[in-house]
Amino acid sequence: MSSDLAFALRGVGTAVAGNFRLRDVTFELPTGYVMGLIGANGAGKTTTIRCLLGMRRIDAGEIELLGHRVPGPVELRQDVGVVLDHTCLVGDWRLTEVERTLRPFYDRWDAAGYRRLLGEFGLDPRARVKDLSRGMAMKLMIAVALSHQARLLVFDEPSSGLDPVTRDELVGIIGDFLVDEGHSVLFSTHITSDLDRIGDYVTLLHEGRIVRTGTKDEILDAYRIVRAGPDDLRGLVGVQLIGARRTPAGSQALVRTEEAALLGGDVLVEAPTLEEIAVHVGARAPRREPDPGVEGDPARHASSLSTGGAS
Amino acid sequence: MIAVARMAMLDLRTVAPHRYQGLAVFGVCLLFLTHNPVVFVPALVLLLTSQVAAHPFLIADKAGLETLYAMLPLRRRTVIYGHYAWAVASFVATAAVGTALTLLLARIQSAPLGGRTLLTVLTLSWAVFVVNVAIQFPLFVRFGYSRISLLSTFLPLALVMMALARLHLTIVTFAELQTWLPLLWVAGAAALVASVAVAVTADHRRVRNGAAAPGRER
Repeated sequence: MSSDLAFALRGVGTAVAGNFRLRDVTFELPTGYVMGLIGANGAGKTTTIRCLLGMRRIDAGEIELLGHRVPGPVELRQDVGVVLDHTCLVGDWRLTEVERTLRPFYDRWDAAGYRRLLGEFGLDPRARVKDLSRGMAMKLMIAVALSHQARLLVFDEPSSGLDPVTRDELVGIIGDFLVDEGHSVLFSTHITSDLDRIGDYVTLLHEGRIVRTGTKDEILDAYRIVRAGPDDLRGLVGVQLIGARRTPAGSQALVRTEEAALLGGDVLVEAPTLEEIAVHVGARAPRREPDPGVEGDPARHASSLSTGGAS
Repeated sequence: MIAVARMAMLDLRTVAPHRYQGLAVFGVCLLFLTHNPVVFVPALVLLLTSQVAAHPFLIADKAGLETLYAMLPLRRRTVIYGHYAWAVASFVATAAVGTALTLLLARIQSAPLGGRTLLTVLTLSWAVFVVNVAIQFPLFVRFGYSRISLLSTFLPLALVMMALARLHLTIVTFAELQTWLPLLWVAGAAALVASVAVAVTADHRRVRNGAAAPGRER
């Protein structure tokens, strides 16, 4: 087990309801950094986080969290703060009762810090959980996570449904948290603009598989967005088009950077944004016969152009 | 042990916002049973304690507290033990307050109420409590409150009715009933222990199936 890693998943697999399962999920985050876990709805982000937190059993692989193998000692949860897209607290509790209820479970609970954070976040201690807006509820969960002095914050889609001002505040909060070099953040989202600002590492997840993981710059360098006329991307040899889309005005796809050089001069090649990468990787292909040899490979969605991509 | 007590306290705080409803039930029982203090404790246990003990499961279903339990530094086993500890504490509190009020009402009304009668009433209350909790809790743990609430209400009730009918047929005198009391206490405690074991196994199975923290996934 490495103390330099906030967490690591190695070859993790787990079956979920229906036919969905995580397959061979492998990625890691060094201590002191922010990782964005990107994927479309249903890609497996929440399942991955649940596996990481020991909330779901895994069928294959191993997970390391803050130097311990998961499932580890329950005391490990003293060091992990979880912020979900919902509060999972009793709606009738006032925010003071939240503190009184949770404080006994944590060895390093900072009561004064909790009250200070409520003040900083503009939360009324007398307010009830059920009366909080989505953004306020998220701030409450952050206040709880920071008050027990977690070393790793795990956010599961915190910014979905938040207005831009609150999302900006969230980015600021995460920035403050990371002032301590021993702190790390895992941030699952499908809103990539937040990651453009704070993400150090990015992991792309699609249909339960890791598409690519690495530093944000590595991910951005790994792909190119290509744009061309409606039929210019047809019949290319040696180039896998990822999440290709065609409209009457033109066609567009994501390609691996090393393959971009194979494209002709009529094709416009540009550096993609994280959002473009996420959109194309997450695009679904028209239904066709499965090809076991390339299962889970996003490139399989790109072998033919489609106007029906779900991007 | 401390962790179990903390979990039981979490259950107390979970039901605390609904304390006025509980007090209302208590008041109604008091109002209707003033003239018959002997049945006050069993009525309270049947109508109030059983509901209060199971209430954390209801709130947990509504508020997603299973996720909270999974996030807190608590073993799954401790969560289960805590639920049972909360239930037993509810019974003890109800029995203590109910017995005090029963004695008070009997004195006010100058009604005869001996120690044997009181012990019999408490034992029957214990039996009613155990039947409810021992059957309901493993079902709640395995399936969740909302999925099983109808059946889990019916099953203990049916068992109590059958037991009462059987009791009426086989035990005809108060003295005969007295001989059964120690057995009822011991059997009740054993049933609770067995129920805890079943609930822990059910919980283990549910976690293995990936439902430790129900909710949206993927």
